[in-house]
Amino acid sequence: MSLGGFAGTVLVVDLSNGEISKEPLDEGMAKDFIGGLGLTVRLAYEKILPGTDALAPENPIVLGAGPLVGTDLPASSRVFSITKLPTSGTIGWSGAGGVTFGSMLKNAGYDQIVIKGRADRPVYLEIIDDQVALRDASSLWGKGVSATCEGFWEDYTRPTGVLAIGQGGENLVKFSMAYIDRIATLGRGGFGAVMGSKNLKAVVARGTGGVRVADRKGYKALREDILQRMRDYPYLKEWQELGMIKSFPFVEKETYFQVKKRRVACVSCPAGCKDVVEIRDGDLKGLVVCSSSAINLFTPIIYGLKDHRQAIKLIADLDEYGLDMFEFLGLMVFASALSENGLIPSGGAQPQIVVESLESMEAWAGKIARREGLGDVFADGFNGVIGEFGEKAREHAPAMVKGMHPYSGPGAALPWHLFGTMELGQVLDPRGPHVGSSGSPTYFAKRPLDVFPKHLDRMGVPEDEIAALLQEGPEGRKEGLQVGSLLRHAHRWFAILGSLGICARAQINRFQSASFCAQAYQAVTGIETPLEELRERADRVWTLLRLANLREGFQRKSEETLPRQWFGESGFKDYVHDKPLALEEAEGMIDDYYRAWDWDPETGVPTEQALGRLGLQGLK
Amino acid sequence: MAKYQIRTDDAKCSGCLRCQLACSDAYTKSFNPSAARIHVDFVGVDLAIRFTDDCVGCGLCADNCFYGALQKVSEGEA
Repeated sequence: MSLGGFAGTVLVVDLSNGEISKEPLDEGMAKDFIGGLGLTVRLAYEKILPGTDALAPENPIVLGAGPLVGTDLPASSRVFSITKLPTSGTIGWSGAGGVTFGSMLKNAGYDQIVIKGRADRPVYLEIIDDQVALRDASSLWGKGVSATCEGFWEDYTRPTGVLAIGQGGENLVKFSMAYIDRIATLGRGGFGAVMGSKNLKAVVARGTGGVRVADRKGYKALREDILQRMRDYPYLKEWQELGMIKSFPFVEKETYFQVKKRRVACVSCPAGCKDVVEIRDGDLKGLVVCSSSAINLFTPIIYGLKDHRQAIKLIADLDEYGLDMFEFLGLMVFASALSENGLIPSGGAQPQIVVESLESMEAWAGKIARREGLGDVFADGFNGVIGEFGEKAREHAPAMVKGMHPYSGPGAALPWHLFGTMELGQVLDPRGPHVGSSGSPTYFAKRPLDVFPKHLDRMGVPEDEIAALLQEGPEGRKEGLQVGSLLRHAHRWFAILGSLGICARAQINRFQSASFCAQAYQAVTGIETPLEELRERADRVWTLLRLANLREGFQRKSEETLPRQWFGESGFKDYVHDKPLALEEAEGMIDDYYRAWDWDPETGVPTEQALGRLGLQGLK
Repeated sequence: MAKYQIRTDDAKCSGCLRCQLACSDAYTKSFNPSAARIHVDFVGVDLAIRFTDDCVGCGLCADNCFYGALQKVSEGEA
């Protein structure tokens, strides 16, 4: 491989016939789509046939890690997947902190993996340098995520990276996820079920080949620059100490410190956000839990579970089954309302659905993961429940987007009330309601607008476009911040970070800039990359993801609708003035978003000019 | 090159492997955790830091540790 950073090989695995092949990475394609997320989108666009059922053997999983993954540039460990997701039916990205998996995959010699077909028995994919094989996983089927990972680590030792599903994925629960190294989650919307439908329990990766960079001198200067900025950052220690609790202090620090055991970081990350906790008193004393973040562990408190130790236990159960906690908790609130209103027949829900009760929630998590009784209905998500109990049930449903529960907003797990890019992004991310791709300065509430320009510059917004994002909008919209147009830039910024392999979380993102990313990409890969070209390549990535979903029939009017629960007195407020947001204002933001991309505001279809600029016309 | 003893604190280690990345880069010109002269072993949810016999005490690993798990100690201070 002449390029630095890239391993140079795409692994193609057909589970139906057991064939494994290795294809050279297409260097031209790598350049055009950057790598990581971008290259994964490109391969998925080629491999996913329009209209394929998400759980059919024909739906491929495309996994990838960017060119920076495996290097020691800070927090360069991200792993991405594109597949058709069963809950939303979208061609969705799934991303996770790669812990050791991304680094080990690259060290084994692979940038991407394409997995297609369906095995005739449970299998796992073993990748140990050149040795790639499908192995029998019958003895692992039925095991939870941690138990599966620990079993692999006994055999392969760490830092072998493990991507695995629990019983939820095995049983095709529509909101099951996969987990990396048992601690990082991959794939709201049912990525776990896609693996389960293929009888694929896990992917195990370990490598010894190393990752080299093209321009060592340039790389070293960039590395020292960013590391020094991190060392000088006065809040780094606080981030390390508190993890994501610093962002969302919805439990007292003392409560967190009562259970905190250690900080866990993905490979190369100087900040660290993942947690190992230990319950030190009460009935659950001695329970040790690994989690993507302590926020997750305490989320059931928002839903009424009073004891933080019980909250931890519930999330530990959900993680072991491999279930998305946001969807599970939202669904349980919904099911509880249906019971109370007699829409679930008396005696139909046993035990009684009580969201504030650990005993009840543990029972239902298990019934859903195993598809037992009514758990079989709940396992099909909100639309499955509405399908079972009729349209009257829909009246009690929470806000929904593409069949899923947005997890930020009124009545949601994260009750942020200001309507910034992450909130709007839950409607406009092609995958469905997710906030991860839509970060911007609005991540923090009530940030003064005068601090926006430096962050917008960092995100790669061209200098001559910044002022327009911070002025009053047309047609009477007086925000002074153009959320829709800003989201277009947030999505491009996410495409840059994801395609390189860099974490987008705030404590890392803040040290990054598009300009730095362009230089780092060039130093690592050797591909000449002025900032303007990096922007263009990232636009190509996001536009292609859009095209992949248009091909599935998702268009603005039919699918990208704003939930009615988001508006009114208890709904979202506008970001600048903290006043109730009107539906028309939010619709206007969607118009702005499409116009900013040069997509037709009526349909969301990219114009011919936009496709021509990006070289996407006639793409197969 | 200065030589140091490296004082370790396993409890502070996050498993980020920055030490292994820096070490392997310095001595193999490639980021390759398996080729490093320092290793972080995962023992359940705990971590244990060890050095191979090839370690020369250059201290690069400690320079790259952001968690306080590795500290350089000059030979006179040890």
